[in-house]
Amino acid sequence: MRYRVIHRTVYEYSEMVSVCHNETHLEPRNSSHQRCLETSLDVRPVPPTLTPETDYFGNPIEFFTLQEPHYQMEVVARSELEIAERTLPAPEETDPWDALRTHVRRERSVEALSAYEMCFASPSVPLLPSFAEYARSSFDLGRPLLDAALELTERIHHDFAFRPGATSVSTPIEEVMRTRTGVCQDFAHVQISCLRSLGLPARYVSGYIRTTPPKGQPRLVGADASHAWVSVWCGAAGWIDLDPTNDLLVSDQHVTVAWGRDYSDVAPIRGVVHGGRDHTVQVGVDVEAIRDDPTTSKVTLGS
Amino acid sequence: MAYEPVPGVYDEIFDPAGQPRPAWASLVESLEGLGAEELARRCESAQRMLRENGVSYNVYDDPRGLHRPWELDPFPIVLGEVEWSVLHDGLAQRAELLELILADLYGPRRLLREGLLPPELVFANPTYLRECAVDPSVKRRWLHLYAADLGRSPDGEWWVLADRTQAPSGMGYVLENRIVLSRSLPEPFRASHVQRLAHFFRCLQDAFHWVAPRPVEEPRVALLTPGPWNETYFEHAYLARYLGATLVEGADLTVRESVLYLKTLGGLERIDVLLRRVDDEFCDPLSLRSDSTLGVAGLLHCVRANQVGVMNALGSGLVESPALLAFLPALSQVLLNSELKLPSVATWWCGEPSALAYVLDHLDSLVLKPTFPGPQREPVFAGSLSKARRAKLVEQLRADPVAYVAQERVSLSSAPVWNDGRLEARHVGLRTYAVARANETWEVMPGGLARAGIARDSLVVSMQRGGCSKDVWIRTAEPPHDLSLLRPAGSAVELKRGGTELPSRVADDLFWLGRYVERVEGITRMLRTIVSQLSGRELGERSDLEPLCAALEEQAPPGIVQGPGTSGLEAGVLELLFESPDGALRTTLRTVHQLAFSLRDQLSLDTWRVLSELSQTLDIPYPSLVSARIALNRMILQLSAWSGLAVESMTRTLGWRFAEMGQRVERASYMTSLLSHALVLSAPTETTRLQMLLDTAESVITYRRRYRGELQVEAVIDLLLNDETNPRSVGFQLRALYDHVRHLPGSTDGAPPRIEERIALSLLARLRLADVHELSRVEAGKRLALEDVLARTSEELPAVSDALSRSYLSHSGEVRRTERF
Repeated sequence: MRYRVIHRTVYEYSEMVSVCHNETHLEPRNSSHQRCLETSLDVRPVPPTLTPETDYFGNPIEFFTLQEPHYQMEVVARSELEIAERTLPAPEETDPWDALRTHVRRERSVEALSAYEMCFASPSVPLLPSFAEYARSSFDLGRPLLDAALELTERIHHDFAFRPGATSVSTPIEEVMRTRTGVCQDFAHVQISCLRSLGLPARYVSGYIRTTPPKGQPRLVGADASHAWVSVWCGAAGWIDLDPTNDLLVSDQHVTVAWGRDYSDVAPIRGVVHGGRDHTVQVGVDVEAIRDDPTTSKVTLGS
Repeated sequence: MAYEPVPGVYDEIFDPAGQPRPAWASLVESLEGLGAEELARRCESAQRMLRENGVSYNVYDDPRGLHRPWELDPFPIVLGEVEWSVLHDGLAQRAELLELILADLYGPRRLLREGLLPPELVFANPTYLRECAVDPSVKRRWLHLYAADLGRSPDGEWWVLADRTQAPSGMGYVLENRIVLSRSLPEPFRASHVQRLAHFFRCLQDAFHWVAPRPVEEPRVALLTPGPWNETYFEHAYLARYLGATLVEGADLTVRESVLYLKTLGGLERIDVLLRRVDDEFCDPLSLRSDSTLGVAGLLHCVRANQVGVMNALGSGLVESPALLAFLPALSQVLLNSELKLPSVATWWCGEPSALAYVLDHLDSLVLKPTFPGPQREPVFAGSLSKARRAKLVEQLRADPVAYVAQERVSLSSAPVWNDGRLEARHVGLRTYAVARANETWEVMPGGLARAGIARDSLVVSMQRGGCSKDVWIRTAEPPHDLSLLRPAGSAVELKRGGTELPSRVADDLFWLGRYVERVEGITRMLRTIVSQLSGRELGERSDLEPLCAALEEQAPPGIVQGPGTSGLEAGVLELLFESPDGALRTTLRTVHQLAFSLRDQLSLDTWRVLSELSQTLDIPYPSLVSARIALNRMILQLSAWSGLAVESMTRTLGWRFAEMGQRVERASYMTSLLSHALVLSAPTETTRLQMLLDTAESVITYRRRYRGELQVEAVIDLLLNDETNPRSVGFQLRALYDHVRHLPGSTDGAPPRIEERIALSLLARLRLADVHELSRVEAGKRLALEDVLARTSEELPAVSDALSRSYLSHSGEVRRTERF
C-alpha cells in the first residue's frame, strides 16, 4: 500500500517570539514493513538551516532555530511511503509470556538487549503495582504472549472511553487509569505500563492511520491527527504492533513515524520559545492511500 | 599541645606508639617552634583572611542566609611522597577506567553484551542520557576532570568511597585553602617541602586547547554556573577568574546554527569550550529536561555537530552510581588488562540475587544507598533503625532490589582540628582530583580537599552538613620550585583592550549595582541631614525638614517616615535605619550585597570588601540617634571608598560605563525629587531649607566659595540643577549619561541616533535651555517653570533605563527583568 501524508502544525502566539529552537520527529522512519520514499519538512518562517540527525532509537529528527521575530510558526511535513502487509504469527502459537520474560532478562544479544531496555520505567510510564494487577487477569502462566496481549488490548479498548480533550500530554497515567478516559496516547501509555509491569518489553509508536478507510470498512478513531499505539516484543516473532484505541493488530493501515520508550522520546515537535507568552496549536493530518491495488503491496521491502 | 586520637582508628598524625609519622615530623616540629599563643594568632588571621576574601559556601536552608563563611582548619593533612605515589597511580588508573566504561556504554555496549555489567544499571538509570549516545565510529572523550572521595581504614589502607564524574566541585576551595594556609603558616609550609598545585591547573588550561573542536590560539572558555544561589558559587567565580574563563549562566548563552555563543554587549561571541558546573540533564532544556532553567537550548546539537567542547561531556554522570564499585575490579581486568590498584569500599548491588542474600544476612553492619540518584538520597545505617523501619527496609529491598546498593561502613581515620584553642580529633575524608591530558594520560592534583566531621563521633564528612575543610600537603624530597599560571617571560602576548565581550547579564548587574549603591548614598545623605537637625530642636521648629522627609518617604515603605512636626519622626528614622526588614535601606543593602556576590569575578577584592562592609554597617546592637549618626558617617566613608575605587581602579571598559550610567540615573532621579520637594513651593524664609539642601548634596563649600554671603534660591538652583561642573548637580548626571550612551557599541557618528541617545539628549538639552532666572520665579507661591523642568526630567529618566535594557541588556528581545524597584 502506498500513502501520501501531510502533517501540518501551526503555532500562534499572543506576543512576539524572538527566538525558538525546535526538534521534530516528523519524518517517517523505515522499518521491516515500511519504506519512506520521499519526505520533506517545510517551515515558515524559513529557518536558515535544517539539521538532520538520527536519535537513539534510529528515528530521523530535524533540528532548527528560528531567529527572526514571528507571531506564527507553521511546520508542514509531507511524505510518501510504501507499506507492506505484515505477516503476523498466529497468536496462540507465540511463546508463553512468562518464558519470554525470563528469556529477555538473560539473553544478551543486541536485539534482546534493545528489547530488554523497553522493560523499564520511562519518563511518562511509571511501573505501578495497580497496572500489573489490571493486566494480570489476561496473563495466566504459560499463556502465549500475543494471545494475552490481544486480550489486554481488547480490555483497554472496552474499559476506557475515548474522549478528546479529557487529558493533556502531561496527564499522569495513574489519572487515566482512575478516570478510564483519555486519547490514543494515554491508552498506549497504559498498555505499555501494564506490559512492562509484568516484565515484558513494550515500546511506544507514534504515527498515523489512513483518513478514509478502504471501501466497506469503518473510519478508524484518531484518523485526523497524530496517532499512537503499542509494540510488544514477541521474541523470535519480533515486534508486533497493537492499537488499543481501535482494538486491532496493526498491519498496513498504520503509518509509523517513530518509536521510543514513550511519548516524551518521540513528540512530533519539541521547542524552547523565547517570548510568545500564550500560544494555540492547530494540527491537521491527512493520510491518503494513493494506490490501493493489492498486488503492489506485496513487494518485498527488505529491512 | 594535648591531642587525643580517636581510639580504634588510624590516626593521620600519630602512630600507635604516639610518635608523629615521618611525613608530619617537620610540621609538628615547626608548629611547636611557634608556640600555642602564636598558633592561636595565626589561626585567627587565617579565618580573617577567608572572611575578608568573601570565601563562602552556601548551605540551603541555613539560618545564616546565603553566604556561610568557608571553614578552614589550620592543620593540613600531610602525606609522604611514597604513600602519595600509590594514590596517584591508583587515581590515574581509575580515571582511565571510568573513561573507557563511559565510551563503551554510550557506544558499542560491549560490557552489556558480554555480561560484564548488568544492563539494569544502565537501562533503569535516569542518568543514562540516551540523547548523548554516539555512533560507535565517533571518538569522543567523556571525562576531562575526575574526582574521588577517599577514606582510610584502621589498617592504614586508602579506599575509594565515591567517584565524581560530571562536574566535580571543590578545586577552587583547594586553591583558596592553599593560599590562606601558606600565608598564615609560612614557616611550617616551607619546612614541609609541599608540592605545588599550579602545574595541575596549567594542565587544566592546556585541556581547553585540545577540548576546543576548532584549532584556535586562545579558545574562548565559559564556566557555566547554576547561579549565585548554588552552594559552591563562590568557587565558580573564583575558578573562572583563575583559569581565565568567562563566568556565565544559562541565559547568557545562546545557540545559532549549532554553534554556542555568549550574548555580549558587542553582539554574539563564539564559545569554544564550556566548563560546566551544571548537572548533565539540566544543561539543555530542548533535548534533556524541559523544565530546566539552568541550561542552554540546543547545546546538545552543538555537541553533536562538534562545534563546542563540553567538560565533562554531557552524560558522564552515568558512572557515579555506587553500584558500579562492585564491578570495577572485573572491568579493570577486561578493559585495562590489569588489577585495580586503588580498592573501592566493599559494595554489593542488590540486583544480583547472591548479593541480595548476603546483604539481608549482614544488614546491620551495612550502609544502604540508592543505586540511582533521586529524591531519596540519604544513606541509611540499617543497624540503627527501629524494628519497624528495619522490617520496612527489608521489604523494600526484596520488592525492588535493583534500586539498592549496600556498602561496608568504613571507620575513617582521625586527624586533629583546631577548636577554640584546643586540638580535637575528628574523622576525615579526602577528595582528590585528576585532569585529562591530550595524550590520554591523567594528571593527578598533588593535594586535595580534606573534610573533617562536625563532632568527634560523627562519621559523616560533608561541607553541606557542617564541619570544616583542611588543606592537603603532599611532601617532596626536593624543595619544590614555584610555578605560576602567568606566562613565561619572553613569550609573545597579544595585547588586548576594550571589553565589548562583556556578557550582557554582567553589564545589567553592573548597571543595577551602580544604581543601588547610589540609592544607598541618596538615602544615607538625606538621613544624615535629618538626624543632625533633630537633636536639640523642639517639635515646632522642625518644619524646615518637611521637604527632606517627603523625599525620603518616597524611598521608604508607607507609614514609617512621619512628618517633622510629630514626635514619631525619630522612631521612624531609627526604624528605617536599623529595624524595618523591608525598609529602603536594608533591602537595598541586601540587594547590593547579592549583586556584588554575583559579580565576584568582575570586582576587585578591595571593591568586594568595601561593599561587603557597607552592608554590615547597620548591624548595631543598641540603636539610638547617636549610633545612627556614627553609622551614617561610616556609610558615607565606605560609599566614598566605592566611588574612589570606581574612579581610580576600574578600567574604562563598557562594564565601568554601565555601572556609571546606573549611578548617574539614580543620582539624577533623587536630586530631582529633592529639588522639587524643597523648592517648587516657595516658603516665606527659605534659608534653613537651602542650607539643608546644600548639606545633603555636599555642596556647601562650593557655594560659600562662589557666593560667600546670604543663601539665594537662584544660586542654589544653578549649583544643584544646571551647573554641569558640580558632580552633585542634575546637569552633571545628565551630561555624563549622554556621554556614556554615545560611547556604547553600535553608536556611530553620522548614523541616526538610537532611542537611548535621543532620550539622553532631550534630557540634557531641556536643562541646558532652561533659564535660571525663569526657574526661580515665583507665581502664586509656586515656581512653575522649575516644576515643569523637574517633572519632565523625572518622567524621562526611567525611559533611558528601559531603552538601555532593550538595546544592550537583553538580546533578541528577551527582557530578563524590566522592573527591579
